[in-house]
Amino acid sequence: MNVFTEHPVARWAVPTLAVALLGTGAAVANHSASADPSLPHRTAAQLLVDVQQARLAGLSGTVVQTSNLGLPELPGVGGGAGPGGGSSSLTSMVSGTHTWRLWSAGPQQTRLALIGSLGESDVVRNGKDVWVWSSKDKTATHLTLPADEAPKTRSAPRPTDVPRTPQEAADQALSALSRTTSVTTSGTAVVAGRSAYELVLRPKDKDTLVAQVRISVDARRHVPLRVQVFSTKAANPAFQVGFSQVSFAKPDASRFTFNPPPGTKVTQSQLGDHTPSPKDSKEAQKAAQGVRTVGSGWSTVVLASLPAQATAGGAGGSSAGPASSLQGVLRALPRASGSWGSGHVLKGTLFSAVVTDDGHVAIGAVRPQALYAALAAR
Amino acid sequence: MSAADVTTPSRRDGVPRPRRALPSTRLLRSELRLIGGRRRNQAGLAVLAVVPVIMAVAVKLSDPTPAGDGPDFFSSITANGLFVPLAALSVEIAMFLPLAMSMLAGDSIAGEANIGTLRYLLTVPVHRTRLLAVKYFSLCLGAIWGVCAVAIPGAVVGVALFGTGPMVTLSGDQIGFASALWRVVLVMLYLSAGLAALGAVGLFISTLTEQPIAAAIALMIFTIVSWIADSVPQLGWLHPWLVVDHWLAFGDLLRNPMAWGNVVQGLLVDGGYAAVFCLAAWARFSAKDITS
Repeated sequence: MNVFTEHPVARWAVPTLAVALLGTGAAVANHSASADPSLPHRTAAQLLVDVQQARLAGLSGTVVQTSNLGLPELPGVGGGAGPGGGSSSLTSMVSGTHTWRLWSAGPQQTRLALIGSLGESDVVRNGKDVWVWSSKDKTATHLTLPADEAPKTRSAPRPTDVPRTPQEAADQALSALSRTTSVTTSGTAVVAGRSAYELVLRPKDKDTLVAQVRISVDARRHVPLRVQVFSTKAANPAFQVGFSQVSFAKPDASRFTFNPPPGTKVTQSQLGDHTPSPKDSKEAQKAAQGVRTVGSGWSTVVLASLPAQATAGGAGGSSAGPASSLQGVLRALPRASGSWGSGHVLKGTLFSAVVTDDGHVAIGAVRPQALYAALAAR
Repeated sequence: MSAADVTTPSRRDGVPRPRRALPSTRLLRSELRLIGGRRRNQAGLAVLAVVPVIMAVAVKLSDPTPAGDGPDFFSSITANGLFVPLAALSVEIAMFLPLAMSMLAGDSIAGEANIGTLRYLLTVPVHRTRLLAVKYFSLCLGAIWGVCAVAIPGAVVGVALFGTGPMVTLSGDQIGFASALWRVVLVMLYLSAGLAALGAVGLFISTLTEQPIAAAIALMIFTIVSWIADSVPQLGWLHPWLVVDHWLAFGDLLRNPMAWGNVVQGLLVDGGYAAVFCLAAWARFSAKDITS
């Protein structure tokens, strides 16, 4: 106390020290997540086999998904409600950070909950029954899966193709593998407090925007715990989905039963009736005819022509808002022109897209210049 | 305010005391009497309590609100009366409750300095650190007081008008009344902790000035700027460090099962704010020249 009475200014050292301690404490807590544990070396092939052979009685945990795709803010897509943000709507997952809670006891019993600030959207699957619940609008949709389609897991209606679980994301990344990619293992990592091997996929193609894909595989349970996609444009992952907390105990069976609470608007829908509708398949065929690909591997460019009335339908496959708002977004994108014509350009971190004025679309995980070339050669 | 008995007697006589006496609560009791006795504070509590009553009566009198409209939890009120305090808290946590904390914090040091009672308070042989600790403890009690002023009338009116049916959690499950009541209590405690952390900021600001209004406005500005920063996505790196950022995580207590991650994070941030700003208030106040 003497020091403080003689030098009153010295008192300010105490709160300053507290700030410093708290800051370093938080930094250390974050950093310990990237410390290297010592694990025996495993090759990429061994890891892939491990992943294929992983058998789990159950799985539960919290999944955090971050995307920084460089997309413009879409009205009605990125919309967080009020201060605090964090929308729980299923269509909001295209951009920003989202938290999921996941419970699974095999593919027949899964529950996914998208956590919003004061809301939640759940997808509950129990055998043939799939419930989609939204706490914000108090609605529930009941889907009955056709019996023969049982192996197709998680066929609940999904607004986008963004992977929701690490497992799902890893499957997608692995299926995209071919001779175009170098697959290596690079050390180890700690994900959700567990040691994990890192599988690194590097495109051999120099034109693509994808720098590398890192998949962290749990060292003991061989389950993918995290998937990161890096862009050549940024040091931080452009897309990341991973567990922040995970448990391999079998969840309680009551997690997978859903009874719509009173006051809920329940919609019944038969999934089997919906898909083979002849009108739908005809339209899909028509759309597929206009789609061509140019190039191969990571720098494949998809060319398509838009039906005049369905500008909202084809672009990117993730359009949820009404057509007018999407066209508003389109108009807000920078314009470009060249020998290929003129149109609007979207320069994302992982992919680029060009929508020409005469209704053609080019999308690819490449820089816009490659899209221009593909459009010019059309 | 003769508090000679507050200090521990000198031990120069060499006789060891068999047991240390419990610290006197006289200073705290006097402080709480002051806070509770102020007309403006009583009026403030009444205003806080009126909001849930208005919400409940309005919902009762009108047609059922279409789901998704109105504040959060609004459409659930008709199903379970306990949603009245939750809806009221989610509305008032943004502005009204921080405003109440601003009033209390402004009065705590700056108010005393302004009306000239602070120097008399300091003539009492009580260490300045102890005075500050009592001031902060009563601010914490004030935070609980404010939350109770919203939640308890809300729960009483809600249960009276809409009954004690099972509560629908955000996950779509139903839980019984006792379990729902327990969750409301947890939400109240969590929000009180957040407001108490804000109170520490207010206490520090209050030691900087002799104008209670200035201190209250400064804390309100701090709150509003925090909310604004929290809603700007480009400041995402800052969000985990904002005291208001985790307040709405009280919704996590209404899921099934409860999600503790964000709540624990919020409590850690609250604790950090309380520690840093209480120490800053101590550094400022214990070296301050009290001129009025």
